[in-house]
Amino acid sequence: MSSVFLFISNESGKAIFLISGDVLVKSFCSLSDTCPFQDSCRSCSLLNAAKNYLAGTAPDSRIKTLDGELSAGIGEYKIGKNVLLKVMGLGSCIGVILSDVSTGICGIAHVLLPGASDRGETKYAETAIEKMVEDMVKMGARRSRITAKFAGGAQVFKHMSLDILKIGDRNAISVEETLIKKNIPILAKDVGGEVGRNVIFNPADGSMIVKYTAKGEVLWL
Amino acid sequence: MTDLDKLGEEEMDVLKELGNIGTGHAATSLSKLLNKDVYLSVPKVKVGEIKNLSREFIGEVVAGVIIALQDLEEKKSGYLYIMFPEKSARKIAGDLFGMDELDEEMYASTIMEVGNILSSSFCDASADFMNIILLPSPPSFAVDVPTAVIDSVVSQMAKNTNHIILFETSLSSDSDIEIYLALLPEPCLLDDMMKIMGRL
Repeated sequence: MSSVFLFISNESGKAIFLISGDVLVKSFCSLSDTCPFQDSCRSCSLLNAAKNYLAGTAPDSRIKTLDGELSAGIGEYKIGKNVLLKVMGLGSCIGVILSDVSTGICGIAHVLLPGASDRGETKYAETAIEKMVEDMVKMGARRSRITAKFAGGAQVFKHMSLDILKIGDRNAISVEETLIKKNIPILAKDVGGEVGRNVIFNPADGSMIVKYTAKGEVLWL
Repeated sequence: MTDLDKLGEEEMDVLKELGNIGTGHAATSLSKLLNKDVYLSVPKVKVGEIKNLSREFIGEVVAGVIIALQDLEEKKSGYLYIMFPEKSARKIAGDLFGMDELDEEMYASTIMEVGNILSSSFCDASADFMNIILLPSPPSFAVDVPTAVIDSVVSQMAKNTNHIILFETSLSSDSDIEIYLALLPEPCLLDDMMKIMGRL
């Protein structure tokens, strides 16, 4: 059965739906904080618009399809064009998103450590960002049009006896410094705090969706 | 130093044995504490790349307790990571106090204490049976998805390697208590273990 990613934006809000056949598999929605159905989407103007679009009854210019999704594991980065990009379960790690809206080429890195690697290892912030920019340019992105968003770098421990666990702040600083050094504008960030995060990038409108994993709160940045 | 990605059958077996003895004792302590039968799942030892680590853990939110293990020279030997799915954690804390509702501070310190007891028995057992001294650090506590809790530990380990060894097992009691236990050894722990095994 074929799956479709749809991005819908209308007067009430924005949402991404993954629909496989007739089944709504996943949704990321800007209304989820106020939605009466919470995560079990049933019916709303956004979902109805998606259904009508799929049924072919209502061509809708406010609906865009995405070509799948890519998820970067710890210390990895992924690059794509018009795909949903994800990093899941960030604690002290950082999800760094780079995108060039003019060509639609974007990338996401799951940064584990601050600083640079002399062996080209992308678990380090500086190295990951450098390599990601290089690869995006190779794919056709314009260096001068690349912008960044990032989130993560939490300190999830309520009680902590090990100082080594305080690495989130250092990661966040390292990412920010690298972006500034490379003249990549930072459009949004959500760092620090005591919350784990999932970070998702929607290339259709360039928004970064941050979901707080423990509380379920969702931000569109 | 033992190279983690080139770990042989023998090293894996020794590690499994250490984990078995340790978690066996931890299970006994938990059983005494809760006054219930506790079952131990068949443990697994895996060597994997760090980038795939998130696949190893359950997806739900857990109360996670992390304890660093040190040897006598204060070298880090590894980490014990104890994951209590939220429902189990509430149940354990509630049972121990004989109350349904606990304030958050009380709840956190109870779970940390359970973590402490489990890790101490783990360390005692490994010292008794394998002659390896493991000193547990005080526990660190967080409530979140398992990867978000452990990733700062992984950062530490990732400075030297792209691979991680995971010894995993779970303890369960009745139908409503489940605890996941993982041991993430540093290469020096494996070196120590192999030295001791070599002498036998």
